[in-house]
Amino acid sequence: MNANTRVRCGIDTGGTFTDFVAVDEASGELVASKWPSSHDNPVEAIVNVVKESGLPPESIYFLILGTTVATNALIQRRGAYVVYVTTEGFEDVLYIQRMNRRYHYSYEWTKPLPFVEMRNCVGVRERIDAKGQVVVPLERESMEQLAREVEARLEGHRVEDSAIAVCLLFSYLNPDHELRLKEFLQSRFPGVAVSISHEVAPIWREYERGSTVVADAFVKPLLQRYVNSVRESLDSLGLSCPWAIMKSNGGHASASAAEGQPVNLILSGQSGGIIGGKYFGDLAEQQDLITVDMGGTSCDVGVVQGGKLSYITNYEIEWGLPISAPFVDLTAIGAGGGSVAWIDKGGFLRVGPQSAGAMPGPLCYGRGGTEVTVTDANLTLGRLNPEYFLGGKMKLEATRAREGLAKLGSELSLSAVEAAQAVIDMANENMANAIRLVSIERGLDPRDFSLVAFGGAGPLHAGGIVEKMGMTRIVIPLYPGLCSAFGAALADFQVDKVWSTNYRSDGMDGDLIIEQFRDLEAAARDELREEGFSAVPEILRSISMRYAGQNYEHDVSLEGGGVSAESLQQAFGEFHRLHEQLYGYSISGEVIEMIRVNVTAVGRTRKPRLRAPPSGGDPRPRQSREVFFDRSGFVSCPVYRRDDLPGQFSLVGPAMIEEADSTIPVHPGHTLRVDRNGVISILA
Amino acid sequence: METIDTVTLSVINNALINICREMGTAMMRTSYSPIFNEGLDFSCVIFNRRGDMIGQAEFCPTMLGSAQYAVNWTIEELGLESFEPGDVVVHNDPYRGQCHMPEHMVLKPVFFEGQIWGFVANIAHVGEIGGMAPGSFAADATEVYQEGLRLPPVKVISRGEYVKDVWKIILSNHRTPKTSWGDLHAMIGSLSIAETRLLGMLERYGGLFLTAASDRLLDYSERWMREEIREIPNGEYHASDCMEDDGVTDQPVWIRLKLVVRDDEVIADWTQSDPQARGPVNATFVVTAAASYSGLLHLTSNDIPRNSGCYRPIRVVTKPGSVVNVRHPGPSVGGNTETHPHIQNVVVAALSQAIPERAAAAEGASGCNFLFAGVHPDTGEYYTNYHIDGSGWGATGFHDGNSAMCPENGNCRNTPVEVLENKFPWRTLEYRLRSDSGGPGRFRGGLGSSRILRVLAPEITVSALMDRTKTHAWGLFGGGKGGRGGIFVKKKGDTQFRTFSEAFGTVSDSKFTRVLLNEGDEVMIHSPGGGGYGPPAERSPEAIERDLRQGWISPDGARELYGYDP
Repeated sequence: MNANTRVRCGIDTGGTFTDFVAVDEASGELVASKWPSSHDNPVEAIVNVVKESGLPPESIYFLILGTTVATNALIQRRGAYVVYVTTEGFEDVLYIQRMNRRYHYSYEWTKPLPFVEMRNCVGVRERIDAKGQVVVPLERESMEQLAREVEARLEGHRVEDSAIAVCLLFSYLNPDHELRLKEFLQSRFPGVAVSISHEVAPIWREYERGSTVVADAFVKPLLQRYVNSVRESLDSLGLSCPWAIMKSNGGHASASAAEGQPVNLILSGQSGGIIGGKYFGDLAEQQDLITVDMGGTSCDVGVVQGGKLSYITNYEIEWGLPISAPFVDLTAIGAGGGSVAWIDKGGFLRVGPQSAGAMPGPLCYGRGGTEVTVTDANLTLGRLNPEYFLGGKMKLEATRAREGLAKLGSELSLSAVEAAQAVIDMANENMANAIRLVSIERGLDPRDFSLVAFGGAGPLHAGGIVEKMGMTRIVIPLYPGLCSAFGAALADFQVDKVWSTNYRSDGMDGDLIIEQFRDLEAAARDELREEGFSAVPEILRSISMRYAGQNYEHDVSLEGGGVSAESLQQAFGEFHRLHEQLYGYSISGEVIEMIRVNVTAVGRTRKPRLRAPPSGGDPRPRQSREVFFDRSGFVSCPVYRRDDLPGQFSLVGPAMIEEADSTIPVHPGHTLRVDRNGVISILA
Repeated sequence: METIDTVTLSVINNALINICREMGTAMMRTSYSPIFNEGLDFSCVIFNRRGDMIGQAEFCPTMLGSAQYAVNWTIEELGLESFEPGDVVVHNDPYRGQCHMPEHMVLKPVFFEGQIWGFVANIAHVGEIGGMAPGSFAADATEVYQEGLRLPPVKVISRGEYVKDVWKIILSNHRTPKTSWGDLHAMIGSLSIAETRLLGMLERYGGLFLTAASDRLLDYSERWMREEIREIPNGEYHASDCMEDDGVTDQPVWIRLKLVVRDDEVIADWTQSDPQARGPVNATFVVTAAASYSGLLHLTSNDIPRNSGCYRPIRVVTKPGSVVNVRHPGPSVGGNTETHPHIQNVVVAALSQAIPERAAAAEGASGCNFLFAGVHPDTGEYYTNYHIDGSGWGATGFHDGNSAMCPENGNCRNTPVEVLENKFPWRTLEYRLRSDSGGPGRFRGGLGSSRILRVLAPEITVSALMDRTKTHAWGLFGGGKGGRGGIFVKKKGDTQFRTFSEAFGTVSDSKFTRVLLNEGDEVMIHSPGGGGYGPPAERSPEAIERDLRQGWISPDGARELYGYDP
């Protein structure tokens, strides 16, 4: 890159490595670097990858981080000391939860612990009813009483490690009491993070809203610290560009907006992957994609349909601990290179979800691992090159892997190779199941989709998965191991706004709804501006509807540029149609309730065009080795370096393509083609 | 048929479970009454054409166990040849293999290549089906005719067309036909989804192959279940429990079990139980069978694929005309919600003598069924609602019992306060856990809850059917008993809560119907707590301190229950 280069950067903090990608939008050139992640201090690796990249700080004009700080804090339960404030009489709701259980025939399961102690759940005298009317006013005296109780709970805890979550009954209909408490608590407890339920998740159902606002409060001080620490480190590097954090919805937010509502960052570290996957899917001219991001311990599967991401509004950190926020629809399963193979009581082979991690790691790492992993099986089948793992930075011990598989196989009356084959098949089956969850279960036929495979281990398994699913096309991005960081660098700005309503299709006030949309849109535009987006955003509008009497709703999009009486009528028709399509019946003439109005504002960023690989190189194989494939057994395969493959190159499998951060087996009969952008497509 | 690899088998097993889950999600999303969409009081199943259950999801065990009988009865009574594509059968007859009258099954045959391959079905609690009490939970019923509209297996949809005469009968006999219509359509709609998904599997695998694979799964579950039973020492184990009264007479009704473990088989012999009660605490045979299965399944591996292969090693023996096998026209509405968990607790108590490390102490075991009805002052519409609360579960040898849980026979959710008040004219004044209601022990029983509701309408008619308000959930191995439950009333202007017997002269404190309350009256529902496990003296001081700190026991409770001076 030359001195005048201006790059946009993405950083992905993974479990093992922190990846950095810088894209020069003008030339399409790409610079990457990697540094081992440090769990206790994620910022250290961020500083190091930037330094390692060798880029002059002034060349970076925008930086986007994917962070797992919020996720890890929740999973490891290392967050703030939280006090929960709620309507008097309902202090125990977070512990009562929903009464149901994860397994229907088991005494072993115990209820998940909320992120706040029960003694810290404090009631305040006030009450709003189901119509949003105040029936017990929030008196000054009650607030003073509350302050004394909160103070007693906070005593002995550092201000910067403490947080207060507020969830009052029916606040989504009338936020007045929550807003007054917010101001009161902020002034009474300066420095303590405060989260307010109707701001974080304006939804009905007190447990779900309460659980969400507690999660927000629990991670808020950590996120604030993280943001400060990143800010200081970037300053120390001489980086003065604006920077942002990936949100769970696949967009990104300025650091200050992000730390204000960290509940939106729970999939921050994972949503970059699907953005990156979609980018390469677009390059390969594919609209319908299933993305598989497989690393060392887990695998994230996502769907892009008609060139669009899909979203969900509920996520569970643990079964029974819901978080309500917009999330890119990703299904994460415990399937990665380090996933352990074991035999269950009934004699079935299982793979995962537990992982040997990086330490001690698979048997073949030779670091004291004792359990057979997916990586060991891949090595035994010749699908990994023991001399070129991580681009040769690490040597693998094939003998250990084979011995472990022989032992596992003896319990199943299988040879070592057959056992390895079974382990791979089972791992692929687990991923196939995750694919079914996001496709077949929603009525989508996976055979209509292209599989975009990335992450260190994704490309390795893609061929097996498509054969299993009857899919026909694989897309392998450039630098598959860096796809998440690349995705972060590309992400758009995105703000989602919702407001709970209580309208019915009979006797509704259309003007009121139109006004509500206008208010939400204005708020969304303001927030985008605060996040640093100055151009004209794209606005998406929808209404969550259900038949009067039902309790769950569906989002119906409003087409066209604005909201009008006609578009509302059209939306009712669309709801009937959608109900028919989803459930096989509709109830024409039934009153439709409108539960929420939703506005999403998207600030599109410019998508770079990556520089094409040189064409007309000499794609001669570097070596050849025996690799096992299901249909052919061991066959001799030419082994290529991806760097050697020019644009427009193609070959028919079997073959192996190796690059520093991944390995791509081309199964017998599959056709590989490198396009002019360097993206690999494999047709099964 | 060639051998089927285990990978394919587990894929098929998962796919069958997923179809059942999807049925449940569709019902949750489209149904009308809170007992469906918040409560999830239903179960979803897939059967082969022989009448074996080959798939189920994690919903209510009681209906899962009884589905086996309800589906087979339907096939036998109507005959396989009477089914045509597009048919839907409804069935709630407690004397024909159902659990109790509110539990309705809808069943749809799935045709593949011109033949019935199997059935998709679900059983769900329809909240109002007529009878003497609004909400169809008549706690003082003495015969089935007071419990609502009884439907033997009949087609409500025939070859895709509504059987209008049957619909007219159903909707004319339910107090809230619009809600019934919405709920029944949610049930039937979910069958279409399941049918489509199952056909997708059939096209992928072929009918013969899928039959063979599901047969293998049935055998696999049976084999695993037998292995688990083999690990239980052979012997005869006895246990008993009583329903505190039957709602009509103030007398306990006893359930007695002799459980025989013989190698890889279990015989649950209930023949020493009391004769059929006058009031509705009688269990149908299928409830007793489902509870027996559920007890065994709770004590064995959680990983066994759930299908009717699991039931094969279990024999259930009852005497017709007894509390565990009601005979026509005996009432049974409380048998499914209240007696069921008692029966299951008795199974676990018997087996605790053989496998103490797997057992749990008794749970609160009451659904705290609370029914109410009236005209909503805002809409002028008549409504009814079936409301439930969770009780404390028993402690195990490894952890404290969960608090405020749906009893073991169901897997229902509570109705959020914000949903309840949005639909019905009540104001909730509190919804809390009850300190000291968990039985003391090395591991403490789960806590019951307390809910106080105030009437906001001129009138609301209420009914209730609870248990363990005079009796207690027992502890195991020295563990103490759980706190009693109760339902109480405070008339406007009163200063204290009283029992309904005191205030209204009902026969039973816990089982009554059609009590008229007025604006400003309050109802307090206390759900019972679970029993403790192991001697309270063995509870660690850290655990006692934690319980004190969190308010799960009071300082007085610490002294009385644990001899611990805070």
